[in-house]
Amino acid sequence: MPATEYQGSFLGRISIRRNQIASMDGNHEQDLEDLEIFQKHVADRFSDLLSASDATADASVDPLLSIAWLRKLLDVFLCCEAEFKALVFMGRDPSHIARPPLDRLIPELLERVVKALDVCNAVTHGVESVRHWHKLAEIAVTALEQRPIGEGQVRRAKKALSSLVASMTVEDKESINSKATERAWSFGRRGSKDRIAGQFRSLSWTVSKSWSAAKQIQLMLGNIAAPRGAESTGLASPVFVMSIVLSFVTWTLVAAIPCQERSGLPTHFPIPRQLPWAQSIIGLQDRIGEDWKKKEKKGSAGLLEEMQKMEKLGQSLIEFADSFHFPAEPERVEEVAAQVTELAETCRKMEEGLGPLQQQIREVFHRMVRSRGEMLDILDQAGKVSSPIM
Amino acid sequence: MEKPPPEKSGSFSGHNVESHPPESEAEGELEDRENAKESSSISDSALPQVSQDIDGFLSHLSLHDDKSNPPDVPDSVEVFCKLVEAMIGNYDSGDSSARFGQVPEEDTAFVESVGRISKLMNALRGFPVESPAAAMYGRSGSVLQRAMSFLEDELRTLLEDSRSHISDSKSLKTKHPSFNSKEDHDRCPLPESESTGDDEYPAYPPEVVASMKKIAMAMISAGYETECCQVFSILRRNAFKEAINKLGFDSISIDDVQKMHWETLEGEIAKWIKVVKHCSLILFPGERRFAESVFEDYPEIFSSQFSNLARATVIHFLNFAEAVAMTKRSAEKLFKFLDMYESLRDLVPAISSPTSDDNGHELKSETMTAGSRLGEAAVSIFCDLENSIKSDVSKTPVPSGAVHPLTRYTMNYLKYACEYKDTLEEVFQQHQKIERTDEAGSDVDERSSQNNSRLPVKQTPFATQLIAVMDLLDSNLDTKSKLYKDMSLRYIFLMNNGRYILQKIKGSSEIHEVMGDTWCRRRSSDLRQYHKNYQRETWSKVLQCLRDEGLQVNGKVNKPVLKERFKTFNTLFDEIHKTQSTWVVSDEQLQSELRVSISAVMIPAYRSFLARFSQYLDSGRQTEKYVKYQPDDIETSIDELFDGNPTSMTRKRT
Repeated sequence: MPATEYQGSFLGRISIRRNQIASMDGNHEQDLEDLEIFQKHVADRFSDLLSASDATADASVDPLLSIAWLRKLLDVFLCCEAEFKALVFMGRDPSHIARPPLDRLIPELLERVVKALDVCNAVTHGVESVRHWHKLAEIAVTALEQRPIGEGQVRRAKKALSSLVASMTVEDKESINSKATERAWSFGRRGSKDRIAGQFRSLSWTVSKSWSAAKQIQLMLGNIAAPRGAESTGLASPVFVMSIVLSFVTWTLVAAIPCQERSGLPTHFPIPRQLPWAQSIIGLQDRIGEDWKKKEKKGSAGLLEEMQKMEKLGQSLIEFADSFHFPAEPERVEEVAAQVTELAETCRKMEEGLGPLQQQIREVFHRMVRSRGEMLDILDQAGKVSSPIM
Repeated sequence: MEKPPPEKSGSFSGHNVESHPPESEAEGELEDRENAKESSSISDSALPQVSQDIDGFLSHLSLHDDKSNPPDVPDSVEVFCKLVEAMIGNYDSGDSSARFGQVPEEDTAFVESVGRISKLMNALRGFPVESPAAAMYGRSGSVLQRAMSFLEDELRTLLEDSRSHISDSKSLKTKHPSFNSKEDHDRCPLPESESTGDDEYPAYPPEVVASMKKIAMAMISAGYETECCQVFSILRRNAFKEAINKLGFDSISIDDVQKMHWETLEGEIAKWIKVVKHCSLILFPGERRFAESVFEDYPEIFSSQFSNLARATVIHFLNFAEAVAMTKRSAEKLFKFLDMYESLRDLVPAISSPTSDDNGHELKSETMTAGSRLGEAAVSIFCDLENSIKSDVSKTPVPSGAVHPLTRYTMNYLKYACEYKDTLEEVFQQHQKIERTDEAGSDVDERSSQNNSRLPVKQTPFATQLIAVMDLLDSNLDTKSKLYKDMSLRYIFLMNNGRYILQKIKGSSEIHEVMGDTWCRRRSSDLRQYHKNYQRETWSKVLQCLRDEGLQVNGKVNKPVLKERFKTFNTLFDEIHKTQSTWVVSDEQLQSELRVSISAVMIPAYRSFLARFSQYLDSGRQTEKYVKYQPDDIETSIDELFDGNPTSMTRKRT
């Protein structure tokens, strides 16, 4: 991915120049040029991500909302964030930040960051549920990979898959209706229904009781406004870009991965359609927004590509199990084998990707905490400069 | 193993050997329930013989390489399958005395049989579809699945039935002697407990642990490790979550923490600390022992089970710690931050993975990161003390030269902070670099290198910071002392504050250790100097009135000069008494030292002056007029100094 390549040169460029020009106000022309480069980088990075949604046939491209794609998205976020900080803060006099409109825009951005941190945590808990489903799918794969497929294997697979499909539904129902829905489905022989349903609740340990991911995203988007007039060439612009990038990334995570209370998740972003750098983000947002609307109708657990696949394959394999008689007809076995291979492949992607994804979400979390601290320090300094101690 | 058949006996031959495997487990269960009683007895008597037959068949199969030529399957295989099914049925019969865990020998026999079924299935794999061997492969696979499904449920029940256990502090110590003997014991009120509760891990009874271990082994060796681990991990997480909620910990969003009032947040922090400590000391070590005994033969499974549970739990603690460390920094938060830092530090060994798996390693480093965030905040708060001292620039002197509020505040803060000395040393070590970039850091370096002889103690970063604060306080007090126009009062102010500082330091072995004896000696000598300066400033003029010089002209006492001397003395002394009795020296020892030293100079001088010159005044009215005080009066007046009480109506003067 070229993202990191040009990032180095961008950061280098800024740091060298800022060292040369020690002027308080910076150089407006240079700033403008930096802003343009920054916006171009944002545009390029997101257009890479967008190309995934068009090139479904191309196996070398990670499909939209797959684990690998989400990891790229987080990479993009980290790159944008680093450049944003360089552009707005590096080598700049703190007093510059303390002036309107930045004295208002930066604290607003930091508010959004705090909300994004909570979302990161909620999503991290959500990944725990996904890990659980992954284990259930693995059981089914292990059972159905055995040859010949016997009654015992089929029943073992069915048990795991029923539990998988049902708990995906419970997860989603719970996160949508917020109160525990006792689903009527059976797991073990003596397992009373609510007992089993209740077991999964711990996997989605809440952020706090009344917290809602959808609400947080709404709040993040609530007061974002594109800079106008003279502001659009000043530092208000990168703050706007960063606010959009941050909100988009958190929103996407919430759409993809089950997490606490997602009903009412916004499907539209307040981005003026004519902004050149925002085209890819708008494109992605439209795509994912559409998928989300469909998902809400259908009631599946999340847009994560691997999960959707798992759910689809799971249902199909349950059907197979329901009509199974030993010995199975060879055509059926072949058909099932193909599905099992696909499920195994999905499991492999989860096995390889979920841990790193979870770690990367933590990395994003830590980065935001650090950056927020740094920005607060700068604001603090700026505050002290404007009211010096005698 | 050989036991009299319990209850009814039945006939095995009554079963249809050719019967198809039940369509579903639910049906199988029904069938088993009907047959449970009769088959249970047979299992005891027939099992050893049939098992032997199966082992024979297995060794025969192991020599049978040609998969295209299926072997004959002896009847004992079907008999064995029936036996295992009957055993499951018996366990499930609803008769509580027959449940798993009741008769360890039976459980062992069952688990062994399940192992045999698993071997049988694997050995029968791969023969032509139409052969009886292939049919028996399917059959044994079904039986194995039923057995596993049963064991999974059994494990769930064992784990779950004791669930109230971990969360109910009253029952923490309770053993459940009747653990498996009552079908519905989880609805029974738990037995009374003599234990105080909170300080012990709610352990499962040993016999229950033994049952769990048996189940785990059976499932893992039959290839059902994932099922076994899933049940175990989900139920243990539930138990932990309940226990932690019960201790009062609820997750709070980072957003909410930022908006919380400090008083409220303090309460949440207190709960958090309690829970984290409980986890470090009780729950995690107990859980480790428990999981270790269940998965005794599978150290890797144990390790991953434990670290997954720890991660799922600890991540919530860390999120709260991060959220708190993000809040606006202020002086009063220092001690809570340090408490939290210590709790996290002590948590690390409790969650450290027994083997070095990535998950455990990552959690450890996450925990240390959160701790270091708190540590960093603590360092920054402590260093901010410099700023609060610097910014205390009020132009109004404290009346009466008393101890300045800044001195009190700073010293009490430092004294309290030094109760966390070791922890502060630790966090300062970790964040030394941050501090070095600060300009104050270089200042301190210079100062301490200049005064190396004065500070032989090793200069830890925290000690350096503490000394910097003390020096800053000194110089601030020095500036404040200049607000007093009266030099004597200036010295009283310096003495008061200096004394207060020294007493605080001597009263706290922690600060004393950091500041060192040399520093204290230096401060003491400073104080002595102030004392001398005060003496000179206030009393030298008075003493001059009592000198012989100038009184005698040609060997004769000049009366007008003498009268003038007495008058001046009286005026000066009155003035001093009036003023300085309003001054405050709150340290009793210092107060008495001052009085004693003043008396020691004044009284002998006055007494001898009086003895020598009072005779030159006419007795009666003149003496009364000029000798206003007897030496005793002087002493009494001196003893009234520095009381802070205006003894006359005159207003104090600064």
